[in-house]
Amino acid sequence: MIRIEDLTILFESFKILNLNIQIEEGGFHFLLGPTGSGKTLILESIMGLRKPRSGRIWIGDQEVQDVPPELRGISYVPQDLALFPHLKVRENIIFGIRARNLDMKTYEEYVRVLVGVMKIDHLLERYPAYLSAGEKKRVALLRALAPKPKLLLLDEPLSGLDPSIKIDIQRLLKDLHSSFHPTTLCVTHDFEEVYFLGDEITIFIDGRVEQVGKRDDVFLKPKSKKVAQFLGAKNLYRAKVLKNEGSSQRLILEVNGLQFSIPRGLYQQEMDVEKEVDLFIRPEEVMILREGKFVKDSLKQNIFEGEILDIAGKERYQTVYFQTTSGKILFEISIPNYAFRNLNLSVGKIVSIALRDESLWVMS
Amino acid sequence: MEDHETMSFRYTMIGAAVCIFIFYLGLILSLFYFVGGKGFWEALSHPYTLFSIRLSLTAATIATFFAVLIGLPSAYALSRFKFAGKGILDTFLEIPMILSPIALGAAFLVFFNTPLGELIQTKGIFFVFEVPGIVLAQFATIAGLTTRLMKASLDEISPRYEAVARSLGSSPWQTFYRVTLPLSFRGLIASVILSWAKAFGEFGATVTLAGAMPGKTETMPIAIFTALASANIDKAIVLILILVAFGLIILYGVRLTGKRFRYD
Repeated sequence: MIRIEDLTILFESFKILNLNIQIEEGGFHFLLGPTGSGKTLILESIMGLRKPRSGRIWIGDQEVQDVPPELRGISYVPQDLALFPHLKVRENIIFGIRARNLDMKTYEEYVRVLVGVMKIDHLLERYPAYLSAGEKKRVALLRALAPKPKLLLLDEPLSGLDPSIKIDIQRLLKDLHSSFHPTTLCVTHDFEEVYFLGDEITIFIDGRVEQVGKRDDVFLKPKSKKVAQFLGAKNLYRAKVLKNEGSSQRLILEVNGLQFSIPRGLYQQEMDVEKEVDLFIRPEEVMILREGKFVKDSLKQNIFEGEILDIAGKERYQTVYFQTTSGKILFEISIPNYAFRNLNLSVGKIVSIALRDESLWVMS
Repeated sequence: MEDHETMSFRYTMIGAAVCIFIFYLGLILSLFYFVGGKGFWEALSHPYTLFSIRLSLTAATIATFFAVLIGLPSAYALSRFKFAGKGILDTFLEIPMILSPIALGAAFLVFFNTPLGELIQTKGIFFVFEVPGIVLAQFATIAGLTTRLMKASLDEISPRYEAVARSLGSSPWQTFYRVTLPLSFRGLIASVILSWAKAFGEFGATVTLAGAMPGKTETMPIAIFTALASANIDKAIVLILILVAFGLIILYGVRLTGKRFRYD
């Protein structure tokens, strides 16, 4: 297990305070934060290249904050990969095994398997300058994994790749992780990467940890408006608690005179009447009701009528901009293309929407 | 098809470059006007001429060796680390460039007349009007330049390579000679060659500190000066041509190194 306790880094304009991360053996942990938030500084401190102001780092049962980088057993894949240009791919790959004075024979088979998985057998005698961007990523990953590190640090591993290569490398990373289980800490600002690969996520904004948790919990239940905004959440509203009458009742919130009924379990703390909270409605969980179609009881709690203001097409879904008649609240609704075709929607059309319980989340 | 303005811009720029080339080439070719006379061949085979060539080669090589010995770690420190007084240290590297070589030589003469300087001379090595004085003068002239050139080469190498090498298990020393040195080799070699060339052609500081004694401290540039002073044009031309030949070989060497150690 990897434990980072109260890591504080002060460097130039960067201020990272009391960072705590815990990664289970074989886990894939994401540190997700905006660009320029000091994520690389954190990796450099974990690696031992930068001395943090304070904090403790544990790799297994060894405390390593005073151990030099070469003895920590960490492999690092920087954003620019830093493949050694004066060494052939083969020499790059075995660099770590040689540098750590490991027995080459013990690692030979393992490296051969990795080379096969990465499909770079034909590149071993080439210099990095003669590799494509995707091939370079593969070699850099292999070089990092070859000495069987106790912790693998990845800095924006999918940045700067064409979409098709990005998908390839993303799959490769997933396969590698499920086959070899390297304990991995990956920093990124790319939500898609996190969604595809991450087990656990630490959301890191303005030098502080804002939320830690399982991937789905963080994405679906952001702890604060700050986290929700960072994750690109649409349909965020400031709401007031109107009613909260005991455990069996639903919580009633008001936004611009419009009332929303929230079931228990979708808000974190006690909600006193008159308290101001943030309501988050997930665009992909909002239903546009077809005229004359039967509506389930579970959907009847939150039905609103309004007008379609605009429709924007994306690759796999359509974004419908809808404004409620009462309260003039603007919603962004994502509808898969196949469902959109059946709805016969157009700009200016008056329709009703229903909010599934799963679409609602309240942040205090 | 390029428009008229683009063409004239292009030819103006290339014309300036050609002018410089013609200027230097004309200067060198003019030397050949006197080549071939009896005095020319005599001067070429004169023992003092051969001595000057040998002395210049040896002194410049030793001075460059010491300049690299101290310059390479200094350059690395200036390129990679933050430390107190770094700015001042960096500024002092320019001293030999802003100080005239004669002033530098004179400063050494003054130093060797201080108690510490006298102690060094009596208990250690004699520098004033001696061969070690040539090496010292040349070293003083090039050490700053060597450090500056090497720093520029090291600056070009991303510290990220070193970070990765450290994470993969290399100690700082191993990282230096397995990653940093090979990656900056092209620039470092060019720095060494240019430093050596600068030492080889050094005159002012050397003549001030070591004097101009034929067969003892007379390097090639000094020999050119004394030959001209005694109106021995043949000898002066022989030495100038040898200097030019060495210079051209060196510059060609720098270009070859540049091509040989490219990794991008």
